[in-house]
Amino acid sequence: MARYEVPDGLYYTREHEWAKVLEDGTVLMGITDYAQEKLHDIVNIELPEVGARVRQMEAFASVDSVKATSEVYAPVSGEVIEVNEELLARPELLNQDPYGQGWIARIRPASSEELHGELEALMTADEYARYIEELEGKRV
Amino acid sequence: MAERTQLWPFHAKRARITEFAGYQMPLWYEGIIPEHMAVREAVGVFDVSHMGRLLVEGPGAEGLLDMTTTNDVIGLEPGRSQYSLMCNQDGGIVDDVVVLRLAEERFLLVVNAANRAKDLAWLRGHAKGLGGQVSIADLTGQVAMIAVQGPRALDVLTAVSKAERPLRSLRWHEFTEGQVAGVSALIARMGYTGEDGFELYIWGATPEEPERALRAWEAILEAGRELGIKPCGLGARDTLRLEAGYCLYGPDINEQTTPVEARLDFAVKIEKGQFIGREAIRRQMLKGPRRLRACLKLLERGVPRQGYKVLDEAGHEVGHITSGTFSPLLRRGIAMAYLPPELARPGLEVLVDLRGHRRARAEVVEPPFYDTSKYGRRRRAS
Repeated sequence: MARYEVPDGLYYTREHEWAKVLEDGTVLMGITDYAQEKLHDIVNIELPEVGARVRQMEAFASVDSVKATSEVYAPVSGEVIEVNEELLARPELLNQDPYGQGWIARIRPASSEELHGELEALMTADEYARYIEELEGKRV
Repeated sequence: MAERTQLWPFHAKRARITEFAGYQMPLWYEGIIPEHMAVREAVGVFDVSHMGRLLVEGPGAEGLLDMTTTNDVIGLEPGRSQYSLMCNQDGGIVDDVVVLRLAEERFLLVVNAANRAKDLAWLRGHAKGLGGQVSIADLTGQVAMIAVQGPRALDVLTAVSKAERPLRSLRWHEFTEGQVAGVSALIARMGYTGEDGFELYIWGATPEEPERALRAWEAILEAGRELGIKPCGLGARDTLRLEAGYCLYGPDINEQTTPVEARLDFAVKIEKGQFIGREAIRRQMLKGPRRLRACLKLLERGVPRQGYKVLDEAGHEVGHITSGTFSPLLRRGIAMAYLPPELARPGLEVLVDLRGHRRARAEVVEPPFYDTSKYGRRRRAS
């Protein structure tokens, strides 16, 4: 199923966020290709505050399509150390490049032990690809 | 199981589908924004066959409708239509409707899809008490309904139709018999987008035998191709009506709101004589309502949604958003809310609580939201 892009090496949530562990141990996150395609026409984002502490799967941002507002969940716990302010002016980057220029936030986990425990709860690319395939299959 | 309209074969191949009022309807084909802009700048075509169409006829039809709707039915001539409201005794809005007078004793009522069963029961209940002979039939599944909207709607429809009266001679809310791509249809100059446009009523088109509806639909798309016509879904229909400042039944108006509060008094002819809800509405007109529907334009980034709180400048809650969206034309958030009358004045500022994220400043504006010299039915001819 090549309809949605699901890059290898990232971790995925059931709410359609991706997480990428960077070399310095921090985690970059955003929404998946599947999420942006479902939302379509993204016109606004509400970003978290830099310095905010979030728990895994806590709603900490939201994106607006014309039609609806959707929560964005933190894929891992930690401190928000950077947000992509470019998105405030160009929310369409979330549609155009969800894994690149459309990244949303960078999170610093409290410890690598906690991070690795939490990553266990997320899906690999293969698992996520199967997951969205199932979701698509359920659609009437 | 959700119902499907006569144009389902087209939607199924082309649209993102959503369920609305028990129908599987197109939400968008290409996207809400391009479809919205096509209607504001050129022309778009909508399947609105999910809306209820009720035929009210007989010697008692005029009397029944004059009693159950707030606008002046007796003064409505055959060949004309009017926006109107059905209210209950307390002045609460049972539905907002369009009444088309087909003949002296024959009316077509276009009602909201979600209210069809309620309206039928309401009308039949009141028909019993009036005595005059009247029959009420639900034609929804037998008549397809297509809206062609935008500044080029007249050009497109003229190219594919023959009509008893030239379409350009029709005034707003007038209609004529005609043919679209050889399919007989009633062609009415009206719509709910703020733009010039037409609604077509195609008899003899059922979901099982949709050919006539599909033929008209395809011919309109073909005729509008060079003008950039787009099929449009319910997503654009909603953003267009909101930009125009028109209410959506359910969120913006319902049985808990009155025509006075909703600022729909233009559709209430209080002096026409007795009608259901008249006393309550008149009392409220004299006393003044406790709240008024206001149109809000956000002065900062953010998209207001139904249920979000509206605060005064001191931070006190003064109302909530009934419907809101991102305006593709203004590129900012717009909304409607009921506010205390002293705050519902154009030029005043309020705050919209964006569900805890932020409070965004918003200005009360007079609808429509767009510049009426550049957009809308009354724009200056270019």
